Amino acid sequence: MSSLVRQRWTLATALLMPLLVLASPAPLQLAGVPPSWAVLWLLPWALVDGPLSGALAGLALALVLDGLHPGPLTQVPVLVVLGWWWGRLGRKAPPLERSFSLGLLALLGAALLGGSLWLQQLWWGEVNAAALHTLLAQTLLTGLLAPLVCSLQLLLWRQLAPGLRS
Amino acid sequence: MAMSGRRLRLPPLRLVRAAWPWLAVLLAFAAVRLSKGAFVLDAYALLSRPFWPGTAQSEWLRSAQQFDRQTRLQQLEADNRRLRGLLDLDRAGVSLVSAPVISRQAQGWWQQLVVGQGSLQGVAPGDAALGPGGLLGRVASATPSTATVLLLTDPASRVGVWVGRVQHHGLLVGVGTPRPVLRFIEQDVGVRPGDVVTTSPASTLLPPNLTVGVVQSVNERAVPAPEAVVQLAAPVDAVDWVQVRVQRP
Repeated sequence: MSSLVRQRWTLATALLMPLLVLASPAPLQLAGVPPSWAVLWLLPWALVDGPLSGALAGLALALVLDGLHPGPLTQVPVLVVLGWWWGRLGRKAPPLERSFSLGLLALLGAALLGGSLWLQQLWWGEVNAAALHTLLAQTLLTGLLAPLVCSLQLLLWRQLAPGLRS
Repeated sequence: MAMSGRRLRLPPLRLVRAAWPWLAVLLAFAAVRLSKGAFVLDAYALLSRPFWPGTAQSEWLRSAQQFDRQTRLQQLEADNRRLRGLLDLDRAGVSLVSAPVISRQAQGWWQQLVVGQGSLQGVAPGDAALGPGGLLGRVASATPSTATVLLLTDPASRVGVWVGRVQHHGLLVGVGTPRPVLRFIEQDVGVRPGDVVTTSPASTLLPPNLTVGVVQSVNERAVPAPEAVVQLAAPVDAVDWVQVRVQRP
């Protein structure tokens, strides 16, 4: 396990995600839909800390977030896969840190997460007439926020864990 | 010829001059007649305006009507309680717990409220959550100090409701939009826009006769039975406090 996890309080920043999901600040909503905070936290974490840490962080975060919502929908599979995938991308040189790359990765991640939730709703027989609206709004907002939020997180975590990445 | 000596004579100019005020008055009367008394009525309105019934009178009437309605409502509620007690529909020991809304997710993949009262105050899964205007949803889970309310708009929400005008039950199903869908079991239910949707008068799970919303549109061609779109009465976006109906031990 790499160095970000060893500094335990960096992992504790993940606890902000459920708080942000619950608070759901209105200025950071698009057409009433909030961004995918889990994607915005997991992307820089996995890019810095690798696939195993990314997958485990995704699992932990998804379990906490699933506990906040009623119903059978789960974010576990997608967040685990995203954590693993982004962790592998982070191992490649040169490091992914350009705003466009971060925005695109977050956009894809939010789209995959929304798509999986939509499929699960269909699987459980729930009709969601606003699914496309929610998917598009959340994906767009997450992709727009990612360059700002993820860049700051990358900077912070690379300072906290020097030597982890060039 | 006898008449040949008489010539048609115009009235003398002097007479015409003397009679023109009378002619003018006659013309004015004719104008009043032709205009259905327009000038007269307008003049009457102008003159009598200080004596018209003012806003004070309409307020007195409105307050009298409101008082009448309140009295009737209280009498009907008392009657309802008595009759429900006779039918043994009311479980004893139901009370309302006021709870602040501490988290609101009215749109998105989940549509829920988190309220700041939980199992320590007796809130349990299945309890009804009420807001100003009517039913908001049902409690899905409770922790010692919080409870999660699944809104009627959530795709996982299903609540049995009643359309009083046509005396039909239906299932109110959330579809993720602010307006849930009312599904019926029977064909030809006769529901039309404007019908009020309430909880069932015989319901024991939810408070009976509670306003849920108003039918906005009806799709008669839906298969296998008609569907209606319901505009909810309680505004979820503006609710800061809810009341949870809990069973007293």
